[in-house]
Amino acid sequence: MTDKAHSPSFARLCETLTDVMHTRSSTRKISLFAGYLKGLEDDRDVSLAVQFTAEGAFSTLSGRRAAVGHRTVALTAAKFCGIDYDVVFRPCRTATGSASETIEKLMQNLPEAAARREPAWLGLDDLADGFERLAAASGREQKQQVLTGLWERMTAREIRFMIRMLSQGSLRIGFEVRSILPAIALAFGVDAEQVRRVHMLTGEIGKTALLARAGELHSARFRMFQPVAFMLASPMETGPVGGAETGDGDGGSAGAGAEGDSGAGAGNVGGSGVDPRAYVAEEKFDGMRTQAHIGPDSGQVSGQVSDPDPGPDSGQVSGQVSVRLFSRDLNDVTVSFPDVAGQLREAMAILPSKKSRPPDVSVSAQPGTLQSGKQNSVTLQSGLQNLVTRQPGTIEAVLDGELCVLEDGRIQPFQRLQKRMGVKKPGRKLLAEHPVRFIAYDLLFLNGEEVIDLPLHKRRRLLEEFCAQTGLPCSRQHEIASAADIERLFRQALEHGNEGLMLKRRDSTYEYGQRNKSWLKVKQPGGSLDTVIMYAHAGSGRRGGTYSDFTLGIRVDEDERYEEQFIPIGKAYGGYTDEELKKLNRRIKELAVERFGPTLSLRPGIVVEVEFDDIQVNRRTKAGYTLRLPRFRSIRWDLSPADTDTLADVERLYRKRAERSGDADPSNSPVLFHKAGTL
Amino acid sequence: MIGFPVRHEMSGSCITIGTPVKNTVTGQSGTTTQISQPLQIKNMGYHGIYLPEANLLLDGSGVDAPTFITHAHADHVPRNRHQPVFASPATAALMRARGHSGPIKEIPFGETTSLPGSGTRESGDKRSGDNKSGHVRVTLFPAGHILGSAMVFVETDQGSLLYTGDCRVPPSPASEGFQLPDAQVDYLIIEATFALPIYKWQPHETLFDQIRDFATDSLSDGDTPILLCYNLGKAQEVMHALASCDPPVSVQIHGGGEKLCRVYEDFGVDLGRWEPYNRETLPGKVLIAPSSTLESPMIRDLRTRRIAYVSGWASLEVRASQLLADALIPLSDHLDFFELLDVCRTLKPRHTWLTHSPDPTVALHYLHQEGFSCSSLETERADDG
Ligand SMILES: [Zn+2]
Repeated sequence: MTDKAHSPSFARLCETLTDVMHTRSSTRKISLFAGYLKGLEDDRDVSLAVQFTAEGAFSTLSGRRAAVGHRTVALTAAKFCGIDYDVVFRPCRTATGSASETIEKLMQNLPEAAARREPAWLGLDDLADGFERLAAASGREQKQQVLTGLWERMTAREIRFMIRMLSQGSLRIGFEVRSILPAIALAFGVDAEQVRRVHMLTGEIGKTALLARAGELHSARFRMFQPVAFMLASPMETGPVGGAETGDGDGGSAGAGAEGDSGAGAGNVGGSGVDPRAYVAEEKFDGMRTQAHIGPDSGQVSGQVSDPDPGPDSGQVSGQVSVRLFSRDLNDVTVSFPDVAGQLREAMAILPSKKSRPPDVSVSAQPGTLQSGKQNSVTLQSGLQNLVTRQPGTIEAVLDGELCVLEDGRIQPFQRLQKRMGVKKPGRKLLAEHPVRFIAYDLLFLNGEEVIDLPLHKRRRLLEEFCAQTGLPCSRQHEIASAADIERLFRQALEHGNEGLMLKRRDSTYEYGQRNKSWLKVKQPGGSLDTVIMYAHAGSGRRGGTYSDFTLGIRVDEDERYEEQFIPIGKAYGGYTDEELKKLNRRIKELAVERFGPTLSLRPGIVVEVEFDDIQVNRRTKAGYTLRLPRFRSIRWDLSPADTDTLADVERLYRKRAERSGDADPSNSPVLFHKAGTL
Repeated sequence: MIGFPVRHEMSGSCITIGTPVKNTVTGQSGTTTQISQPLQIKNMGYHGIYLPEANLLLDGSGVDAPTFITHAHADHVPRNRHQPVFASPATAALMRARGHSGPIKEIPFGETTSLPGSGTRESGDKRSGDNKSGHVRVTLFPAGHILGSAMVFVETDQGSLLYTGDCRVPPSPASEGFQLPDAQVDYLIIEATFALPIYKWQPHETLFDQIRDFATDSLSDGDTPILLCYNLGKAQEVMHALASCDPPVSVQIHGGGEKLCRVYEDFGVDLGRWEPYNRETLPGKVLIAPSSTLESPMIRDLRTRRIAYVSGWASLEVRASQLLADALIPLSDHLDFFELLDVCRTLKPRHTWLTHSPDPTVALHYLHQEGFSCSSLETERADDG
C-alpha cells in the first residue's frame, strides 16, 4: 500500500489488479476488487475502474478502440527505453512471453527508462482522457507521441496495465466479467444475479456498476436499439455419430471429423453426456450473426440512437419503423446493410393487411405447413396477440439471426457476403450483385415482453408466428431422436452448402453472453494440404527454448506469378507430440539458415501435412490466401519439398469450397420462406 | 536447450572455442598488452571446460587432468562418482553427502595450489619470478551462489583466467560470500543464466521478508505453507530466512535435503528449528520441498495448503502464474543482468565468455557497446553428451 491508498488514482487500481493477479482463489479476487470499488467516492471513478478492468480502454458497447497496434506499442517502448527493438526488446519478450510484462520490467530496470519517468499519480479520468487522445491521434508517429507523453508520468506497473487495456477485453489476470459482476454486487450489497441481468440489458458494465451503487438496478429495463449480448454455442466435443447407445451402427464419420477426430473415441451425442432427444437441430448458416431491432422510430424509443441524417439507405424511416442491426461484437452495422433494413421494414409494412384476419386462423394455419405433418396448436402469449392488433409503427421486436447473400431462395457462399462486409455505404451495383437478407432463428423481445426468459420451444413458436405474419424467413428446425438423425441432417446441411448443424436444447432460455452446452455446433472439417516449414519460432511457456511455432509454405516454384520457391500460407502452433517436437527441433538445426531473434529461417526440408478449418482470401499476404486454424496432422518425413501442394491447389480447394452450395430441394430447404415476394 | 547459430567447428565431443585473436581487444586502451600465446579453452559440454596448456579440467570429468569442482549442484559435479577432484571444504562435504566417493582434495578459499601444467611449453613467463615455467597456480574465491561455491582463478604463462561457475553478488547470506581476485583477470568465463535486462533482483532482505510473511501469514490462517525450491542451496537459504521469524516457526524439509542441511549447520549457517518431513507432525509447520513434489500425494493431499514458488524464474509473472502457486518469490542464486555487467566492468578482462545462457545475445550486445571483447561459450549440453 502506498500513501495514495485513498485516492482514486490509476496507480491504486493497478495495485488492486496486481493483488488480484497474485491471488488464486476467485472468492478472494472478488472480495479484493469489491473492497477497492467500495472505497471509491466518485461515480465516474467507479464506472471507469470497472470498465478498464472488464472491457479495456473503451466500453465494449461503444465499439471504439485506441487503435494502437502491438508493434507500435513495442517500438515506442523500445525507443522510450533507449534500446534496440530487434537486438534487445525481442529476446526479452521471448523470455517473458508477454509484451506488457516485458515493457514493465524494462521501464523499471533500465536506468535510462526510469530517469525519463516521473509518476504523476494520474487519475482514472486522466487515463480515460489519454485513451481518447490515442484514439484521436492518426498515424504511428502521433500515437507514439501520446504514448510517450503518458508513460513519462506513469509507474512501470501502470504502464503494464495501461498497455493491456489498449487491446480491449480481458486483462488476462484471471479476473473476467463473470467474476467482476459478483464483485460489483458484493461492493454495493446487491444481488449478483440481478447485476448479471442488468449487465445483459444495458450491455455496459460501467453503467451496471453505477446502477448497483445507486440501488437502482430495478430501473434498468431492456431498451430497444441497445444490443443484448449474444448467446454462444460450444463446439461438440466428440463427433455426433457412430454411437453404440443408439444401436444405429452407421459408421459414418462426418461428425467424427467435425472436431478433427482427436481420437477420443467415436463419440455420439450421448457420448458427450448429451441426450439427442433434449435437442432440436438447425443447419448452421455460413453468414454473419446479427441481432435485429425493429420498432418505432428510434427517436421515440430511445433518444440515444438517433441518426441526424437519415439518408434513403439508412435504417430509419422517420415516424415509421426503425431498424438497427448489431454484429456479434455488438457494433451497429445498419449502414452497411440498407437492403436488410429495407427487408425488415417491409416485413412490418405487410402486417396491416393481415390485421383483419382473426388471430386464431393465422396461428393454426401457418406453422403447420412448415414442419412435416406436425400441427402446432399454440396457446398464444399475449405479446403475439398484441402483434396482430397493433399498428405496425408501434411493433417492437428483437430477433437473433444470420445475414446471408440470398439468391433464388438459396444461401450463397460466404465469400459473396464477404464482399459486402465492412462496406459502409454500399452502392447500387454492389447491392444488386450481392443482395443480403436476414434469416431469423430466435426471438428475444416482443412488444415489451422479455421472451428471452422463455424456454426455446416457446420462443420458437412465437418466432414462427412472427415470421408467418411478417413473411420474414427463418431457419428450419428439425426434431432429432438419435445420433443417426444428427448424422443425416449434418450431411444434408453440407449438401446445402451450410457449415454444419446447430443443436439447441429445447428447454434452454436465451443465455445471453454465455457459451454453455445449451447450444452445440457440429462443424465439418476443413481440409488438408502438404506444406513445407519455412520458419521456426521459439515457443513460449512450457515449450520455452524450443521451436514450437511454424510458418508453413506452399509451393510456387512453377508459378509464373512468383520468383520464390515457397511462400507463407499460415502459421501452425500445435498438433504434434513432444517426441515429434524433439525430432523436429533436431532437424531444424540442420536446416537453419539465418536467425532473427526468436525466429529461424530454414531451408525447405520438412514437409507437414496440415489441416485447417477454412481457406480465406487475404489480399495482404503474398499468397493472397490464408488458412484458418492450421494445425499439424502429421509430419511427413517420407515426403520431400518437391512433393508438396502448390498455390494452384489452394486456389482449387478454395473455389471448390466456395461452390459447395448444392441444389437445395425446396421442400427441405434449410430456410423457411413464408411468403414469396419478401425477397 | 538448443543453442543457435549452429557452428561447424564441432568435431567429436570436443569444441574448440576460438581464442581471442590478437589485436582484436577493442576499447579498453591501456589494457591491450599482448600475450603471445593466448589461452586455449575447450568447452566439453557435459564434461566441463578443459584448459589444455594448463592441463586443468573445470566442473567436468573424462579427461586425465586435475579437476576443480566449483560447487555441488548436479550439473557441475562429475558424473563419475569415483573421480578424484579438488574443491572447497564445504563443496567437498556436500559432494560426499550427495554420494561422491572419490578422493576430494580440499582447498580453502584464498589458498593457492601450484600444479605442473601440461609441461609442453618452454618458457615464456616474464612476469613472476617465483613461478616455475609451465606451472599453473590455482586459487578458489567464494562465489556467493550456495554454500561452498567457488570461482576458480587460474594463473598460467598465457595469462590468468577466472571461471565463475554459478555465482551471485551480492552473495547469498547462506554462503561464504563473494570475492573477486585482486590480481588482473585476463580472461573471464562467467555464467549468464539471467542475462536479460528484464531480470533485476530485489535485495535479499526484501525477499526474505516476503518468505517470512508468507510463512507466518499462512500459519496464522491455519494453512500449511509450502515453499517450493531446489533442495540444495535455495532450501537452506529459505530456512536461514525463516530462522529469524518472529514468532519462531518450525520447518520440515523433504527427503533429500536433510543431510545437506546438516552440512550447512556444520559450516555455521543458522537454519533455525527444523526436522525431516513427517506427515503426522506437519500441521502447524512450514514445509520445504522441491517443485517436482507438487503433484506428489505429499502435497496434493494436503487440504489446507498454501504454495510459494521460490526461484529467479518466479520473476516472470505471466509464465510463473501457470504453476498454480499462491505466491511467487523471485529469490535467485544467480546474478542478474546488471550484476553481470558490473562484474565485467570491475574486472575489465581482455576477453569474456558467457556461459549457461538461454540467450546470450543481449548481454553480448551491451558488453560490445561498452568496448568489451566477448563471446558466447555455447555449452550445447543436450547434444554432445
Ligand atoms: Zn548451481
